[in-house]
Amino acid sequence: MEDLEFRKRGLANPNDSSEDFIAAASASAERAKWLQDLQALDARVHAAALSIDVPAGLAERLKAHAVAQSVPTATQASVTALPARSRYQRYYAMAASLVITLGVIMSSGLWTARPSAADIKFHDDILGHMYRETPRIENATADLSLEEINQVIEAAGGHLREDERIKSAHIKFANDCNVVPSIKGAHIVLEGTKGSVSVIMIHNSPVSTEFDVNDPRFQGKIIPFGQGNLVILGEKDESLETYETLITETFEWVI
Amino acid sequence: MSDTPVLDDRRKKERYEALVDALYQDVYRYAYWICKNSALAEDLVQETFLRAWRSLDSLQNDKAAKAWLFTILRRENARLYERYRPELVDIEDQSIADSDENEPDQRMDRRLLHEAIGKLEKDYRDPLMLQVIGGFSGKEIAEILELNNNTVMTRLFRARGKLRQVFFPDSELTEDFSGDDTFDEQN
Repeated sequence: MEDLEFRKRGLANPNDSSEDFIAAASASAERAKWLQDLQALDARVHAAALSIDVPAGLAERLKAHAVAQSVPTATQASVTALPARSRYQRYYAMAASLVITLGVIMSSGLWTARPSAADIKFHDDILGHMYRETPRIENATADLSLEEINQVIEAAGGHLREDERIKSAHIKFANDCNVVPSIKGAHIVLEGTKGSVSVIMIHNSPVSTEFDVNDPRFQGKIIPFGQGNLVILGEKDESLETYETLITETFEWVI
Repeated sequence: MSDTPVLDDRRKKERYEALVDALYQDVYRYAYWICKNSALAEDLVQETFLRAWRSLDSLQNDKAAKAWLFTILRRENARLYERYRPELVDIEDQSIADSDENEPDQRMDRRLLHEAIGKLEKDYRDPLMLQVIGGFSGKEIAEILELNNNTVMTRLFRARGKLRQVFFPDSELTEDFSGDDTFDEQN
């Protein structure tokens, strides 16, 4: 086997056990050493690829999912033999059980809705916008008036009500943003205690559930708000609850 | 009244649960390397096993279950996420299992490898992970990816060639195929 072919096959599968490959590997000390080094690297790649943490309880959740799916099949099989009145009673009982079960789950906080694929895309677009705007935000020093801020917010279809808390906040940046193409959004920045706090308002489809931003630098939330979304972002050690309360209590959509 | 449907349901459930126990970890890890995000990976695995449960009767041979599940997973990923989500460049650190038994330099090595694997182009990472995690042969990978065998072998050796360049940048063992870097038909 030529050297080139040997190396290509080795890289494609360092553990190739076919006779011609093994014979080729033992044809010279150099080839044997080359393959040995490659197999050592491959063992490290193998260990790294398999070192992903599997979520606890995943197998149980997968099994429970299937059991939940199988319930209608079993029920349907037995229902066919029941008289009409019993069947309706059974449906009623099932519906009532479902409502009660959902009520218990939701009131106990066990229900955690997951963001959809579209929500995650929106999340990623927001963060992309944040990183692009960060240099401008960090250099902003203005102290904008409520009128100046509302000029930007109103162009995005919203309005910030007059409030003492807003008046006393240091809002240093207000600009439109194009996170969602064709929809003009507003991006305002307040001076927080640990750095800048961004608030982004976009009159687009509300995300399916409120969820936290997942980013190495920023923390924050994406909140479905009326006919649009509010996004609040700050540095990791900033306490954002005050800003969230302030904005959700003073902001409204006007379109 | 026949009890056959009940027995069938029980057998199906037992078969499914055995499948979950045997393969859920590999399926999750492959899902993770496809989307590089733990939450999306879990969603993908849920969807994959749900579809597997619904069409379990179509799986004739349990020995083919892994390839069958990996194929379902790839289709679900294409259907649910690929169209909406640009590929993530960085992987999440928290998904890397850090055993306290490992030495700090071993943990560092693992992180560097994660980063290097994560940065491989999808076309190269996919067959490599099918080979490493799935243990599939070139022919099986070709069937899962719907490619011919030579293309798969070419992508596999390019994937490893790229990893070698990361870990042995100055080594004389780093490959230079001078443009001849595809598998020939006879291979």
